[in-house]
Formats: sequence, C-alpha cells, structure tokens
Amino acid sequence: MSMQKTLPEPVIRPEFINENIADAHTGDVARELSVIEKVWNINGVRKAVILLGLVTIWQAYTVLFDVEPLMFPTFLVSLQTLITDLFQGDLIWKVWFSVKVLIYGYGMGMAIAAVLVLWGTSSRLGGDFIAMATAMFNPLPSIAMLPLAMLWFGLGTASLVFVLVHAVLWAVALNTHTGFKNVSSTLRMIGENYGLKGVPFVCKVLVPAALPSIMTGMKVGWAFAWRTLIGAELVFGASSGSGGLGWYIFESSQNIETEGVFAGLFMVILIGITVENVIFRNIELRTVNRWGMQR
Amino acid sequence: MSTVSETVIRPEFEADDLGEASHADVARKLTLWEKLIDLDGVRKLSILLVLMFAWEFYTRISGVSELILPKFSDTAVALYDAVVNDQLLIMIKNSLTVLLTGYVIGLVIATLLTTAAIMTRFGNDVLSTLTAMLNPLPAIALLPLALLWFGLGSASVVFTLLHSVIWPVALNAHTGFMGVSDTQRMVGRNYGLRGVTYVAKLLIPAAFPSILMGLKVGWAYAWRTLIAAELVFGGAIADTSGTQSGGLGWFVFSSQMDMQIPYVFAGLFTVILVGVIVESLIFSTIEARTIRRWGMQSS
Repeated sequence: MSMQKTLPEPVIRPEFINENIADAHTGDVARELSVIEKVWNINGVRKAVILLGLVTIWQAYTVLFDVEPLMFPTFLVSLQTLITDLFQGDLIWKVWFSVKVLIYGYGMGMAIAAVLVLWGTSSRLGGDFIAMATAMFNPLPSIAMLPLAMLWFGLGTASLVFVLVHAVLWAVALNTHTGFKNVSSTLRMIGENYGLKGVPFVCKVLVPAALPSIMTGMKVGWAFAWRTLIGAELVFGASSGSGGLGWYIFESSQNIETEGVFAGLFMVILIGITVENVIFRNIELRTVNRWGMQR
Repeated sequence: MSTVSETVIRPEFEADDLGEASHADVARKLTLWEKLIDLDGVRKLSILLVLMFAWEFYTRISGVSELILPKFSDTAVALYDAVVNDQLLIMIKNSLTVLLTGYVIGLVIATLLTTAAIMTRFGNDVLSTLTAMLNPLPAIALLPLALLWFGLGSASVVFTLLHSVIWPVALNAHTGFMGVSDTQRMVGRNYGLRGVTYVAKLLIPAAFPSILMGLKVGWAYAWRTLIAAELVFGGAIADTSGTQSGGLGWFVFSSQMDMQIPYVFAGLFTVILVGVIVESLIFSTIEARTIRRWGMQSS
C-alpha cells in the first residue's frame, strides 16, 4: 500500500490592479515640537515642577484647612526656621558636630576593615574569621550596641564613634572581602607576571579590580552609619548637652516646635543627598565608570 | 635603515646529571587532622568556640566587673532564663508582628508606586524625585513626628517602618524593570503575553535579582529602624501596646536600665539570631530557588 498523499492543487488567484489608492500623505512625520513640549521634555524641569507641586500642596493644605501648626506647620514656616536657625542659631554647629563624629567613625571603621581584609586575603584563618564575624555582626543593628557602648565608654563622643565603627566595619569588610575573592585569576596572574607582590599587588591589582564591590560596601556602610548616628543622637541628646543634628530634632519635638523638626529633617535630607549624589557619584564617575566597569 | 643583528647560535650540549625524579608526595593521602581542618564548618565552629573561651577566661581571670562585661556562662544562663521566665519569646513575637505589618504594607505601597512609574512618564518622574529625596532620610528621624501624629503606640512605629521599606524597594524594583532587555520584552510579546500576565511571567522574573536586592535592603533598614525605635522610645511604646511587654529593643533597653548586663547580652544574641535566621535562611532560600536556579546569579 502506498503512503503517498495527494498534494492539494495550488490555487491561482486572478491578477488585478488596485486603482483606488489615495496619494501618499507624509504631513506630520517630523513636526517641530512646540516650546512647551520642548521644555517639558527636559528632565530637570519636570522634576522641579513635581517638587514645586508637592511643596505647593503642602503649603495649600496647611493654610486652607487651618491645620494646627503644632501638628503640621506650613512649608514656608519650616523653611524660615531652617534658615534662621542655620544662620542665626547654632544649627550649623550641631550639623558640624554630627558630621565630625560621622567622619571619625567612618574613617576608623574603614581603617579597621582594611586591616581585617588584608589579614583575610593573606591567610585562611583570617578569611574564616571575616566570614564568621560578618555573618554574625552584620545582621546586628549597631544601634543595639548603644546601651553597651554607653556602659563601656560613658556618655560622649566615644560611644557614638564605637557604634559608628560597628555600623561601617562589617558592611565594608564583607563587601571588600567578597570583591577580592571574586577577582578573576587572569587578572591575578597578570599582576604576578608583572612581579607585583604583597602590598603593591593589593593596591594595584586587587583594589582596582574589586572597586565596584568596595564602593557598594562603602555606600552601604555610609547608609547604616548615617541612620545609626541620627538614631543614636535621638537617644543621647537627653544625656549629653552638646548634641548634633539628631539631638536638634529630638529637642524640637520635645519642645513641640514642630517647624524645628521639619527644619532638622530638611537638613538631614540635604546632607544625605550631598553625600550620595555628589561625593559618591563623583568617586564613581572618576573610577569605576571611567574604567568601564560599571555603566 | 637599521641593520638586523646577527643571530646568536649557542653551542649544543647534553645535560647528563638530572638526578632522579621523585614523585613521592604528589598524591599523598591527607591525614585525618588535615581532612577535618579542610571542612569549612569545623574551622568556623572552632573559631567560635575559641572566642567564647577567650571571653569566659578573660572575665574570670581579669576580674572585670559584672557590670562591664559579664561572663559568657552568665549570659547563656540569662538567655535561658529570659526565654523561660521573662517572656522573651512573646517580646520577639511583638517585634516581629510590628515588623511584618510595616513590611507588608510598605511592599504594597512600593508596588503601587512602581506600577505607576512604569506605566507613565509622570509617575516615573514622581518616583525618582521622591526616592532621591526621601531615601537618604533615616526613617528613625521621622519617629518624633510620627509620635506627634499617631500618638504613642505601634502605629507610629509602623509608619516609620513604612518609610524605611518603601523607598529602597521601589527604587530597586524600578531600576530592575527599566533594565529588562528589549529582546526579552519582544519575546514575551511574541508569545502573546499582555497586561498582568506580561508583568507576572516576564518582567518580574527578569527583574528579580534587583527586586530581591530591594527586599533585602528594605528588610535591613526596617530591622535597624525597629530596634532603634524600641530603644529610643521603647518605654513609651511598650506601655501602651497593651501587652505590657514591649519588643526586643525594649528588652535590651530595660535590662540596661536595670543594670542587668547579662540580659543585655542575651538580648543582643537574640537580635543577632533573628537577623541571621531572616538573612541566611529566608532570603538565601528564596535566592537559591529563584535567581540562582535560573542562572541569573552565581553563588
């Protein structure tokens, strides 16, 4: 029996000419944008408008609904408080106090992390120690160490710095150690080929190769440190008279000067934006972005 | 024109004194000790044990005041006692309940914000302006305001937790969605996916590494904020929560106030334990079952 199927007959459709096509119409393909459209297409303009809109809503809500200023002061009053406290009051010194403590803690944390990671890359015991210590201490919020720090170092800057070191150290050590471990063998061998050893090897091969990871660690460390500092100052303020920015917020809220609380929050946001979008952004642009490791 | 240098032809020679090849130790059996030391867990456990012994010995020999650094054994006893007699478990439950409430509501709001940001350019601009402004603001700084608005109680804590969860989650999810490659998008459309199925079956899996990153950062901030909030305003919050026992941060704080330092350490251990469980059990499991299995992230 034959398995051959019969092929279907090809259908031949009749030819025809379509007479009824209108002229091609290419009117609007590359129209000039109007001025409004051009302006609206600028990113900064749209964001500024959104910001202005939010501020206007805030101001309008508080004024129109006659909200109790103790609960929610108007935007303008908050801004005014910020400016007068900054230039006539002592807010600027409080900010400086906070930033100074933050720099101490951050610097010390980075230094200790560097020593730890060097130990970790040079010996297996060190590597194990880092892996275990970070696994244990990284999930521990450093603010929880504050009661102990106050006991050990008394009320003062020393306790704040201790807590900040704890906040920075583990995040930086963990990320740097992981970054070093993931540096490809090819890069390592090239470094060894050039005769690099010890510290020059770390500085010239490992650190640049692991910089994206180190930067992540530094950013996470900063974020934790900043949050810890503000939290710690909220606790402390009560006990030591010369406090920082967190203390300013706490004091204002205790005195029910809510506009002061908002002024403090503005300041916190301002510093945060400066550090994240100016300092870290610039470091990234000059290193990892320029070297083509990150887009 | 440079002249080509003469080729140097070295005289041929045969070395006849190579010595005997010795390959005795190339594939030696490891001793039991070496095998044991090669196990990761054993090494880490022994480091932990050494640290514990060092702590115990230091406190015994140097005679450090109990109030400065209690013995390790006392701390362990305190932890046991707190679990059995002092309602530590209930405190952990209180803390976690508040944390979960804040986290889940935060996730819902973050999802709404991200959806708006993906669908319209205006939403995109709103989200990026808000995150740029509010992400660097530590949530704990909002607690004084929250106390003013919502009074003393868990509502205030939930409010600050929301703030600490929403921004990192929305920021990372949005970055993840924007980074899904056009190729994948087109493949999805080729299969005829649209609307919700398109998001659920294509966008979310493709952006999952980023989303998970946001969830982890959100958890880390929320956990830190919760402990800080309970430490700072612990008393006030604890008294009105109705359970009369407060949370974990309050346990640490009140133990310190009562100068029961072993209990402070016990509280810290518990905080570490909860953190380790969430980070290395829950999130690691999710990671192993999703992005690592899908080959999006190497171990």
